[in-house]
Amino acid sequence: MKFSINSVKKKELKQWLAFNVFRALSVLVVCILILILSFITYHGIKVISWEFLTSMPEDGMTKGGIFPAIVGTLCLVTGSMIFAVPIGILSAIYINEYTKASFFKRFVKLMTNNLAGIPSIVFGLFGMTLFVKTLGFGDSILAGSLTLGLLTLPVVIRTTEEALKSVENSFRHGSYALGATKLQTIRKVVLPMAFPNIITGIILSIGRVSGETAPILFTVAAYFLPKLPTGISDQVMALPYHLYVISTSGTNIEESRPMAYGTALVLIGIVLIVNITANALRKYFSKKVKMN
Amino acid sequence: MTHLDEELLQLKKEIIEMWKLVGLQLHKTQVALITFDKDLAREVMATEKRVNAMELKVDRDCENIFALFNPVAVDLRFVLAVLKINSNLERIGDIAEGLARFILIVENPFDDYLLEVTRTILMYEEANSILEDVLNAFENEDTKLARGVFKRDEYLDEINIQCNTVLVEYIKNNPDKTEQGLYILSAIRKLERVGDQCKNIAEEIIFYIEAKVLKHRGNITK
Amino acid sequence: MTPIITTRFVNLFYNEFQALKNINMAIMPNTVTALIGPSGCGKSSYLRLFNRMNDLIDGVSITGDIMVDGEMIYSKGIDIVALRRKVGMVFQKPNPFPKTIFENIAYGLRVNGVTDKKRIEEKVEFSLQQAALWEEVKDKLKKSAFELSGGQQQRLCIARALAIEPSIILMDEPASALDPISTAKIEELIYELKRNYTIVIVTHNMQQAGRVSDYTAFFYLGELIEFGDTKEIFTHPKDKKTQNYITGRFG
Repeated sequence: MKFSINSVKKKELKQWLAFNVFRALSVLVVCILILILSFITYHGIKVISWEFLTSMPEDGMTKGGIFPAIVGTLCLVTGSMIFAVPIGILSAIYINEYTKASFFKRFVKLMTNNLAGIPSIVFGLFGMTLFVKTLGFGDSILAGSLTLGLLTLPVVIRTTEEALKSVENSFRHGSYALGATKLQTIRKVVLPMAFPNIITGIILSIGRVSGETAPILFTVAAYFLPKLPTGISDQVMALPYHLYVISTSGTNIEESRPMAYGTALVLIGIVLIVNITANALRKYFSKKVKMN
Repeated sequence: MTHLDEELLQLKKEIIEMWKLVGLQLHKTQVALITFDKDLAREVMATEKRVNAMELKVDRDCENIFALFNPVAVDLRFVLAVLKINSNLERIGDIAEGLARFILIVENPFDDYLLEVTRTILMYEEANSILEDVLNAFENEDTKLARGVFKRDEYLDEINIQCNTVLVEYIKNNPDKTEQGLYILSAIRKLERVGDQCKNIAEEIIFYIEAKVLKHRGNITK
Repeated sequence: MTPIITTRFVNLFYNEFQALKNINMAIMPNTVTALIGPSGCGKSSYLRLFNRMNDLIDGVSITGDIMVDGEMIYSKGIDIVALRRKVGMVFQKPNPFPKTIFENIAYGLRVNGVTDKKRIEEKVEFSLQQAALWEEVKDKLKKSAFELSGGQQQRLCIARALAIEPSIILMDEPASALDPISTAKIEELIYELKRNYTIVIVTHNMQQAGRVSDYTAFFYLGELIEFGDTKEIFTHPKDKKTQNYITGRFG
């Protein structure tokens, strides 16, 4: 007989083993995540209060709240998106819809990929040199936003490109066959279809931007600034940098430890909310695209 | 109405047109026989070419429908039936031509008495009426009418069989009209064949409408 | 009658590969012409010449004369948008836009500059009626086109093409992704449409070519082997290759 009982058993054993190894590994990943989250939540939840979220830091950041850091982070996220989203989407459209397979296209793609791989501290240094010094913006929201925008530009380009690519060519051809121009096709068929995925990409890059420390280190972030910004040339505090400061170089690190956990929790909370929003929006828009 | 329906309807119209023409041919030979009208007989012979052309046309149309539409079930049976009815009709057309030829060959008008004793005219009328019956059965998809044809054909057979004895008697009494007698005998034989063709047609009609094969079943009327 | 599409000595290359070799053919107005042949024989490439869909593929080069409605469509300065308006197309896979049924048809009108609401509404209804879809969708025009069945989607695509009043409709295996009932509906539709349109259809289904077309062109390895009356091709093909192909004895 060709198939002995033995070989069947062996096969089943292998199958069983493989399945359980995969399962164990994925459980491990979830466990690590839960561990981190619960650790931070456990330590941070104590300081979280309405007051913590809405008041200025006091007493060398050992007391009071993190309000200016939250506002600062929001300013930076908004600023960077204003810069990165239009440029990113337009370049992605250009790369995906207008250039044919050519050396230039490959070159641009390679460059965007490389840009995505550059360590964020390098962006920080670059931003300082270009925006802060050369262009004379000084340490400001403008300089910080531009630097963060540069950092996230490749992400926006890549996700938009993928979103455009996922729109089947048959839809483009259908549109051309009706006598639509390229621009009409992109505007009325391709972009609406790619929109849910583009939104997801943007929101994920918001998550990334809100957590970055290095790029803002030399371009915008203030060590301690218990007031709100009044314009784009002001310095601001930012959550990640604030976290870094109170955990490493505060006036009294031990005393501000609970504040640090609280800040971390807020930061994680923001990223989490952004991710959940991304998912909800994608679902909403993909439904809407079908309806329109 | 689907494209195939339209094609089938067209085919039906064509075969009915041919049917009527063949019936007319047969009827004209009857008139020519009674009135001894050689011109009319000639006309029948000329028209036979048209019948043949129509047969070819129907054949080609059937071929096209098979090739282009791959008919199935009732549509398939219809086209198959039309194909066979077509060749039956063409043979009846040939028979009419043959009958017309006799009229051209014979020098003197046919003896009325001869026509009467052999019931030739009756036979003509009966054959034509049967042909009309199967046409109506086909046109209206009336299998009851088609089935009646088998009974009516028996009457033609009877005239045909009886004709032998009648003719022997006639030729004995009128040896100078032997030739005429023989022509009439042939004519009756031919008309009997028209009945057979109509029977075949009736079988095809029943096959197409009821999907029943009646061929080679012995005596169907019982 | 003068032909509405004429091609003379047309060659088509994908980079080095020659997909069409010296094709000469004339297509009469208000007829259905079927292009048949094994996969890769060039029939789809040939079809896509007429609305310049091949332009969208990299590395395509074309020689020879292609005349549509009295115009050399590959000459310089030709308005491709106007050409595509005149020569509609229906694709193999139904590709309605992710919009409502109404908007799917209105789209072609809007991109061609029709803004009058009333006219668009009339046109949508008329096109859906032409495509024998109106009765099925008239109560759900505001619903997504994706809610329709595959066969309905394909008829929607046909309606979409009809809306901009083309004179020629190209169909690239329009029923190959559909079930037999939907296929039969599409075929009936083609038969109806030929009264007002010239239709060129690529099909892998020989019976379909037989059922719907007036003329059939058999392509093999980029060459036009035989072109003529469908009845002739299906009953007395002149070329041995055509005979082998339509009788399924290929290879």
